[in-house]
Amino acid sequence: MNGTNPGPLDNTPNPIKIPVSSAGSYMPPVIPSAPSGAAQPLGTNPAEQVPITGPVSAVEAILRQPRRVIFQLKQPNAGSVITSLLLIAVVCSLVYGVIVGTFSGGQQYWAAPVKIAAGLLISALICLPSLYIFSCLGGSQARLVEVFGLVAGLLTLMTILLIGFAPVAWVFSQSTKSLAAMGGLHLAFWLVATIFGVRFLHAGFSHLGTKSDGGMKVWVVIFVLVVLQMTTALRPIIGTADTFLPAAQDKKFFLSHWFDNLDADGGRSRKWKGDGN
Amino acid sequence: MSSVYKMSTISITTMEANPTITGLGQIGVVLRGEPERMMQWVQQWSTRRVVLQVGVIFLGAGLYGASMGYWREPLQGLFVAIKFPMIILLTTLGNGLLNGMLAPLLGLNLSFRQSFQAILMSFTIATAILGSFSPIVFFLVWNAPAMSAHVPGVYSFIQLIHVVLIAFAGVTANLRLVELLQRLSGSVGIGRKVLFAWLAGNLFLGSQLCWILRPFIGAPGLPVEFLRAEAFKGNFFETVFRAIQNLFFS
Repeated sequence: MNGTNPGPLDNTPNPIKIPVSSAGSYMPPVIPSAPSGAAQPLGTNPAEQVPITGPVSAVEAILRQPRRVIFQLKQPNAGSVITSLLLIAVVCSLVYGVIVGTFSGGQQYWAAPVKIAAGLLISALICLPSLYIFSCLGGSQARLVEVFGLVAGLLTLMTILLIGFAPVAWVFSQSTKSLAAMGGLHLAFWLVATIFGVRFLHAGFSHLGTKSDGGMKVWVVIFVLVVLQMTTALRPIIGTADTFLPAAQDKKFFLSHWFDNLDADGGRSRKWKGDGN
Repeated sequence: MSSVYKMSTISITTMEANPTITGLGQIGVVLRGEPERMMQWVQQWSTRRVVLQVGVIFLGAGLYGASMGYWREPLQGLFVAIKFPMIILLTTLGNGLLNGMLAPLLGLNLSFRQSFQAILMSFTIATAILGSFSPIVFFLVWNAPAMSAHVPGVYSFIQLIHVVLIAFAGVTANLRLVELLQRLSGSVGIGRKVLFAWLAGNLFLGSQLCWILRPFIGAPGLPVEFLRAEAFKGNFFETVFRAIQNLFFS
């Protein structure tokens, strides 16, 4: 309990009195419902009004005080906050990309980071107009720049969490040769990171006057599908190939690409077992 | 008479309460379905606002049309970018007279201009939604195997995506429109009747315009062209009828 964030008991002026019914038996006291974060207007806590001055401050704010980030996105200097968030997202995705590249080595040390950073940014840009429209349809008063800021926050939180997963990913990448297993692992990490990013996005829209979040749920599905397809459009990210990007005649949807890889991986595994015998 | 009185009373109070919104902010208002402002805008003609809405229709439907036709060939994308907004505007103009007559006949006292404005608003919502989906659709068709490769299921999948997106945009726009009509008439029933009458007329004309202005997605075996050589031969309903006849009676 500190001075800036008083708990419920700090505001209680008198000791709790246990009510007694007319029959003389004790009745349990009514527990007041805790105020939800979304119900409190932004900026009521003075800590939320502290400006975000740079990338380090932005990292701390998005992890510990997401409401501060949302509040700052509504201020006139939101541009610098968004720039900081995007810078963090790019740097973190480049770092995670290097870890992804360690599986194959060689040119994937630089190709994987470039593809992951570019892929995430392009996916976000492709999906931004529909998110703005969905937010309007949900009754939100958010301006395009605020929606853009929330998407930048989503990317930032996702990529920071990916950095947290990076050591685990590196350990696994050094101990397996299975492309499908590594792909699945990176995908699982990305999905966990996305869940936390979406929570931030949801909190942001609840403060921007959204009355219905149905549209946002649909948008999240679209965003996930676009990013998954992006991994196929920019392949190879984990494995290797002769060309930086797939040829025009090799275009595929992500499910088809994954099934092909699973088949190829199964074939390699069977062959390896055969050689062993 | 009573409904006219109700409308004018509401418009005076809302004009006082709401500050003027100009430019692209007006599109946000119709997307959010803010009833007071939308009622005010239906009642007060503004050439600027109409130009803005027509601009959104051209941009939104144009971008969506471009992403739709791009899969066949970039030139097909350009053709559809021109044709798609034309269908919407020709439907609105072609049915303007009929829709303006149907509204008062069904109990909603709107002038021709007001009914035109209400329909234009709903098409603005639909095309703004479609326009916002155009980068996603473009990304989808860019990733799809070439149309000429004849990969099984891909053509149907792309068609299905278009149907889902256009249906979503249309349903959302009409939900906003029915809310507006119900507010204007002060009756849920009258609002619904007017909407269904307008929808029936617009679907009837719109589907035939689509038939005339085909192709949109295009077909690998047929050339890329603005209009088919036999554009005016046959009609949409005749073709659907024949297809049903062939399916069940051949």
